[in-house]
Amino acid sequence: MLSVEKNRRLTQVGPGTPMGELLRRYWWPIATHDMATRVPVKRKLLGENLVLYRDGSGTVGLLAEQCPHRRAALWLGCTEQEGLRCGYHGWRFDAEGNCLEQPGEPADSTFKDRIKATAYPVQELGGLIFAYLGPSPAPELPRYDLFVWDDAWRDIGHAELPCNFLQIMENSVDPYHVEWLHGRYGTFLRELGGKDTPLPVVTKKHVKVAFEVFEHGILKRRVLEGHTEEDEDWKVGHPLVFPHMLRVGAAGLATFQIRVPMDDENTWHVWYQTYRPEGGAPPQPEIPVYEVPLYDEKGEWLRDYVDGQDIVAWVTQGAVADRSKEHLGKSDLGVMLLRKLYAEQIDRVEDGEDPLCTFREPHDVIDLPMEKDKFGSAVEFRQLWTRESSIRYSPIKDEIFALFGDPVPSWV
Amino acid sequence: MSRRAGPIGAAFCPGCGAALDDPAAFVQEFWVGADRHFLCWCVRCELLCTVVIAAQLVSHEPEH
Repeated sequence: MLSVEKNRRLTQVGPGTPMGELLRRYWWPIATHDMATRVPVKRKLLGENLVLYRDGSGTVGLLAEQCPHRRAALWLGCTEQEGLRCGYHGWRFDAEGNCLEQPGEPADSTFKDRIKATAYPVQELGGLIFAYLGPSPAPELPRYDLFVWDDAWRDIGHAELPCNFLQIMENSVDPYHVEWLHGRYGTFLRELGGKDTPLPVVTKKHVKVAFEVFEHGILKRRVLEGHTEEDEDWKVGHPLVFPHMLRVGAAGLATFQIRVPMDDENTWHVWYQTYRPEGGAPPQPEIPVYEVPLYDEKGEWLRDYVDGQDIVAWVTQGAVADRSKEHLGKSDLGVMLLRKLYAEQIDRVEDGEDPLCTFREPHDVIDLPMEKDKFGSAVEFRQLWTRESSIRYSPIKDEIFALFGDPVPSWV
Repeated sequence: MSRRAGPIGAAFCPGCGAALDDPAAFVQEFWVGADRHFLCWCVRCELLCTVVIAAQLVSHEPEH
């Protein structure tokens, strides 16, 4: 049980809220590269309605949705060689929010010089467009390894999930759910579908788990049945990258699950994959982007694969999980540690300090730890993850199989 | 609200005595068997600790 007040403190992300102020100290993916075009699009981040566009000069801009003039939406607008022109009366703004033109005003008017649209800085990295909504000066955009490797293939899946971001993040420090939600429940669904072989890898029982706060967030370690503390699942582990990502994968396959709070009750989930076989991957002309479907043809939640099972668990906890009615046990220590870490970092920001994972110095790459032989075998994990995660919707799935050359597993 | 172990469980920091019902403090209830535990983080002294409200006190006397 967590008090109603503390639950609110950890889950409200809008401007002026304690968590909202913490989260505004970070760069957030606001879009995939293909969304920033000459056609302005509506985006939502941390409770703020925004418009993203790419003008004729290639500059990407992110403005508050409402035009400062008569408050019409700026997605009802046209991109010009420089800036975005409101569709209602033609006021034009650049990516810094400066008003460049007010066609209806007298030619000698200086009115435009006193008008500013709310604008936020954006940067492109690794096929994503990142935005910063916090106070100046903005920190450096963290160049995490997966975003900058030049010898890896990538693809990016995404979906909007109708629930608060925190319950999704908590899943990343809840190792036991793997053997139950994906191991037992996933196998149960296979049984109902007439398949009598359980899924491998995810059915392994946890013997021991540990969580350690470190410079990048929380490092998660586990020992599975039949394994020892000499295995990489324990010796190396993998991180929850504070405040918004999980790093998961095995040798050659490294992924981020990025949880972007749109508002208190909706999260844009990004599955960011890299494929880097030994010796590197050949050049990739463009990073494919795909939407991850949530429902089957009957309108039921898709849950016959790992990410679908996670999604249904998160969403069914409620739009904002009511933690005043939960009953945590000792197996939930990772969840508690994460909540405490958020509370501590909120306090840091309220004291005027930079929170964890704020980077002020320019850097080339930030390397993150991750086990190579996950759950005992990199090949087995890759065989599973490329088939039973959201990668199954990737338009380059077959090319990925060929890139690694792993044998087709018997359980398929 | 009562300062006894009630809905918020641990009312004061065992380290410095600051009130743990401060919005910025963190108090999380969890259960270990029949024992009610509270993971507490004090915003004033930054102590992280667990307060246990035990169903039963079990101890033993050393040999003598």
